[in-house]
Formats: sequence, C-alpha cells, structure tokens
Amino acid sequence: MSGLTGAPATGDAARPKIEVVGLAKRYADVDAAQPAVLERIDLTVAENEFVSLVGRSGCGKTTLLNIIAGLIAPSAGEVRVDGKAVTGPGGGKGMVFQQQALFPWLTALQNVEFGARTRALSPAARRREAEQLIDLVGLAGYAERYPAALSGGMQQRVAIARALALDPQILLMDEPFGALDEITRIDMQHELLRVWSSRRKTVVFVTHSISEALMLSDRVAVMRAHPGVIAAEFRIDLPRPRQRTHAEIVALHDRIWRHLN
Amino acid sequence: MTTLATLLRHPQVQGLSFLAALVLGWEVAADVGVLRPYQFPAPSRVVEAVWEIATSGFPEGVKLTTHGLVTLGRILQGFLLAITLAIPLGLLIGWFPVLDRMTLPVITFARSVATLSLLPLAIVWFGTGELSKVLLIAYGCFWVMLGNVVAGVKYVDPVLIRAARTMDASGLVLFRRVVLPAALPRILTGARVSLGVGFMVIVGAEMIGTIRGLGALIMEARTFYRADISLAGIAALGLLGFGFAIGLGALERKLLPWHRGLEDVRR
Amino acid sequence: MSASVRWRDAALGGIGTLAVLALWEAAARWGGASPLVFPPPSTAVVGALERVPGDVLVGHVTISLQRIVLGFVAGATLGVVLAVAGGWYRILGNLMRPIVELLRPIPPLAWIPMAIVWFGLGESSKVFVIFLAAFFPVFTNAWKGVTGIDPVLLRAGQTMDLTGPALLFKVALPAAMPDIATGLRIGWGLSFGVLVAAELIAADSGMGYMIMNARQLADVGTIILGILMIGAANLVTDWAIGAVIRRRLGTWHPV
Repeated sequence: MSGLTGAPATGDAARPKIEVVGLAKRYADVDAAQPAVLERIDLTVAENEFVSLVGRSGCGKTTLLNIIAGLIAPSAGEVRVDGKAVTGPGGGKGMVFQQQALFPWLTALQNVEFGARTRALSPAARRREAEQLIDLVGLAGYAERYPAALSGGMQQRVAIARALALDPQILLMDEPFGALDEITRIDMQHELLRVWSSRRKTVVFVTHSISEALMLSDRVAVMRAHPGVIAAEFRIDLPRPRQRTHAEIVALHDRIWRHLN
Repeated sequence: MTTLATLLRHPQVQGLSFLAALVLGWEVAADVGVLRPYQFPAPSRVVEAVWEIATSGFPEGVKLTTHGLVTLGRILQGFLLAITLAIPLGLLIGWFPVLDRMTLPVITFARSVATLSLLPLAIVWFGTGELSKVLLIAYGCFWVMLGNVVAGVKYVDPVLIRAARTMDASGLVLFRRVVLPAALPRILTGARVSLGVGFMVIVGAEMIGTIRGLGALIMEARTFYRADISLAGIAALGLLGFGFAIGLGALERKLLPWHRGLEDVRR
Repeated sequence: MSASVRWRDAALGGIGTLAVLALWEAAARWGGASPLVFPPPSTAVVGALERVPGDVLVGHVTISLQRIVLGFVAGATLGVVLAVAGGWYRILGNLMRPIVELLRPIPPLAWIPMAIVWFGLGESSKVFVIFLAAFFPVFTNAWKGVTGIDPVLLRAGQTMDLTGPALLFKVALPAAMPDIATGLRIGWGLSFGVLVAAELIAADSGMGYMIMNARQLADVGTIILGILMIGAANLVTDWAIGAVIRRRLGTWHPV
C-alpha cells in the first residue's frame, strides 16, 4: 500500500476503486419463495487492493464477480468503478475464468496479443508486449503452442497474461486455480503474487479455498448462501510471501471456517 | 394487448406465425395468378391432392398408404439385409487389427461409391423389379453400418478392457459383456445413419421402373403435370423421414439408458 | 506413427484390395456367367477405355464436377450464412427454425420432379438438387456450432471489449469452425450421391448419364468404369477437403 497518499480514515484505503452498493440478484423465472442469489451486498475495494471472496459453492461469489465484470446485470443496487456505474463488460476490467477460456484456435502468444488488441499500440509493439507478458508468466518457449498442447497450469498462466494484456486497472479472477492439482496451485499462487508485485492491479479473487485466500489477499470477504450475503470481512496485514503455518494465518483460517458454518 | 405481446415473444409462436404467413402468402399468390399453378400449386390444392391420393389413389387405384408401405417395406428389407451382414462382419474386422488393415481401403472405396451409381448395373444384373431396389438400399446401408461397427469395436476405451481383465474376463465373456455394450452407441449411430442413407437411395431408385412407392408417385405425377401430387408426395416423404428420426431417437434412448449420446458429450 | 508401421499398414491394405479384385476376376472367369453381364475387372475397364473416347470421358467428368461445385458452393454458403445469422440473432433463428425443420427430413432427391418443373431440364435443376443436398447438413452443423459455443469463451471475449458483430466474427465464428467443417464434409458426400441420381434421371451429360446410357447399350464395362470413376472422384475430392480442413483446424482442434 506504499503508493497511497494520506492517512486512511477507516481501515480501508483512501481511494475506493470498486464500490458495490446495495447489490441484489434474483432470477425472475424462479418462484418468489426462493431466496435471492445475492442480497444487500456492500463491498468497497481500494485501489491496488487484493480482495478475495470466499464461500461454499452456490453462495453467489461467482455471480457477484460476473456482476462486477458487467457480464450480468444486477436486480438492484449497482457497481461503481472510479465512481462511475458499470453498465457492461470491458473498459479496463480484465478477467480470468475458472474453466479453460483461452481461444483454442489461437496460440498462446496470439491469445495474449488478442488481449492487447484494443490498446493504442502498433502491431510490433503489441507483439513485444505480448512476448513480455508470456515471459512474465514464465512461459517463454511455449508461445507458439496452442492451448490444447498446454497443461492446465500453463493454460491459466496464459489466461492471466491475456487479462494483463488489456492493461486493466482491475483484475477479476474467478477461481482461476480451482481446476488445478494442489502442487501446481501453490506454484501458481506464488506466480500470481510475483506478477502482481510487478504489475500492480486492483484484484478481486474468487476462491473456495480459505488458505488460498489467506496466502494472497489484503482482505477476505466471507460469503454465505441462501440468500448470498457477505457474512464477515477479515483484514490480513502480513507481508508476502506468507507462511501457511504462521500463527495468525492459522488463527484466521479457524475464524473464517467458523463463519462458513 | 399485453398478452399478445408476451405471446409473440415466444420463439415457437414467432416461427410458426412466420411460417403461416408464408403459406398464406403462397396461397394468395397462387390464387390471384402471380405464381403459375402448374409450378406452384396453391397449398389448398396440395391438401386436396393428399386427399385424392389417399382416397382414389394416384395412379388410379394405388393409394397413399400403398405407396408409403411399399417404400417403407423396401427400405426395411434392404436395411435388415445390410445389418444382418454388417454386424457380424464388422465385429470380426474390428476385433482383429490385421483384418481391419486389410479391409480398410476396400471399405473406404466402397463407401465413396455413390449407391445410386450402381442403379444401371443393378438393372442389368437383377432387372427393374423389387430385387434391384432392395439390394441397392442394402448396399448403401451395409457400408455405413460396417464402418460404424468396426469403429465401435476398434475404439472401445482400453481402460474398460483392462478393467475387465482385472476381473478375469477374457475371450467371449470379455467380448459379449464389455466390448459389445461399449461399441453399441456407435453401432446404433451406424443404424441411424444407414437408415438415412436407405431413405435417400430409395427415392432415387423408385424413380425408375415402378409406379408404386412414394418416389414413383412424385415422378409419375410430374409426367402428368400434377405438381400438386408431387408436392403431396414430397410432404409424405418428409413425414416418413420425420417419423424415422423420432422412432430411432426413442429406440436409442430405450437401448442405451446409460448413454448420454455422442452429441451431448461434444459440447 | 512410425514409417515402418505405415508401410506395413499400406502393404496389408494392398493385399486386401488385391484379394478382392482377384476374387472378382476369378468369379467372372470361372463362375459361368456371361462376360457381357459379369465381366472380370481387367477386361471391363480396359474394354471400356477402348470404347469410350478419352475426350468424351473427360467431358462427362468435367460437367459433373461443374454441377457439383456450383450446387455445393451455393448450398454451403447459404447454409453457413443462414445458420450463423439465425444462431446468433435470436429473432432470425426463431423465424427460420420451423421452416428448416419442416424441409429437412425431405430427401433431396424427392425435389427432382419439382426441380424439373421449376427450372426445366437444363443445368439449373441439377444444381438446385445438389444445392439442397449441401444446404441442410451445413446448416444443421453450423447452427449446432454457433449455438453450442462454450459461454465462457463469449464472456472472455466480452471482457476484452468485444461486442456485437466483432464478438460474432472474432469468437463465435472461429469457435463454430469445427462444426462447420463437419457439415461441409457431410454436405460434399451427400452432394455426390445426389449428383449421380440427378444425372441418371434427367440429363444428357455427366457421369451419371454416361452409365445410364451405357445400360441402354448393354455395355456393362462402361457402367463399371463409370461407377469406379464416380467413387474415385468422390474419394479424392473428399480427401482433399479433409486435408484442407486438417491444415486449417488441425493445429488446434483434434480432427
């Protein structure tokens, strides 16, 4: 948080990047007795802050992320980025999905170049930028491979590079490591922190893994289902990289676990 | 007003009303003479033609049910002949890789031979009667079926075979209890596709040397400048084809309750 | 696959093919049937090549290929355009769906009499029937491709500022390409089957006409030659189309 000026009045940083205000989502065709997917969601994310949304499957965390991305419209309330209401996807919000969402007909490098498509760069500069990003995520030598010829971990590295290629101010990540095995997953967490430290972004990270959230985030929002609400928030003021066995991490893990039940 | 608006938002309502509008437009255009009646007989004329074939028949005495049953009978005879030969042969070829490699070029070529190109040869060898038609259908069905049976056996997931072997299944038991069920989806796909082929072939085959059958009906009607009868026959063929698709889909669901269908998996 | 395995497979295939030809040859020579009705392959093909002048043969093949290419290109193009438009823009899809579903089960050959009524006995009637044969499989598969796209790919495109036609052309269309390719191959095969039938019934040129005419002259050799030529033409063109598809899509999609 070194780049911020002025003393924050509350626990949050001075400049809110994302504000979620009174948000609710219910599906019209479902009968009214059903609890809403999301209800009374308020969340503020400061600039360059890393916030995780944690919850069981079905608690609406992915829906919330999709609404922040502008992919889904809320039933009530709104999402503001830099004080302006979000009306649709795009516009500096990069997203990494849980499933394989690379374009299978493009090579790794072409996928990343595709992300940089809307930036005012010459084709040569765009290619250089894509190559740099491929290097940044540790895939030098795999640039010409098609996604089908990459492992799951490598595919997600490309997906991160592609999202970064937009040069977004906000990076939205929907369980990006959810489909990976545990060892690859821990590697990817380190990798993400390394990338994040060189290209600071405001990150909203959805996960169902408490420890993943604790390793990565400045703040963890715990969500509960039926209706989907934010049940609690926890701030983690520990330097990174963190130790899984650190006393405070273990204690937080316990408290979050209790909030989930 | 609002109910009409909600109704119009329904996809089927939109589509069917558009279709109805087209048919109505066709009717009006034919009635006022914009469309020439011998080329585009009005839909009402086609309906009357259906009635005419169904009651008095066309040619006189050969009724719609006769045409339909004759066509259906030819397809089924050819199809049954084909699968009776293709299933055992395909199982054999699929199970022994050497046979598969030896027969691959022959099967590939025989499949690319357009079935109806054999029509002149069939006429020379077997005359213009029923036998020619049934054999042509059998030819078309046979190669499609054979290809699918072979592929079904050949591409059984090796994991299944290994799993069965760990349970001491071998030889005929392995074949009957594991290979055959695992190959069944493809075999049924083969049956469906080959029936489709038979259905296509019969229409062409019936256009020569017969006055019975739906293919003969539509061709015969043309020589009498009865486009309305032709269109009625085409509609009957469409109905028959639709019936095949429905029936085979139901059969597949009944025979393969555990199988999600190749189409579903692809998505 | 290693080279030696490929050679072994080719050798086995050759043995199988020769065995079939030998069986035919033997059955024809010593089976007791008249060689006029059931000639051995050697004399059938050689004899036919002597009887039919080369330029006539080439002429028939050319006109057949011309018809099939015209009909196929028209049918496939319209099939792709309509399916993509209908699969993408819901209202268009709603309007065209029942019409297509109604016409699809009708075998293309059933339109031959109407094609003659509408277009006469000239080229257009044959091209029209081939057009129909190509249209439906291409339409059906392209539709499946466009409507079956993994939504996450579309969302990914949207997060990268793609909307409307850009999303269609940059994401939906490439994603639907494998299905479109499948439709094209099926459509091509069907076009071939239909072409011959159309030429058998209503033509005075083309490969189908050639063999039907040979029947009237009781020239079995020419019929056999024609059948083999039609099969070979189908095989070669299908292989070529497959090769193009593999080159274009094989890099990223298992074909």
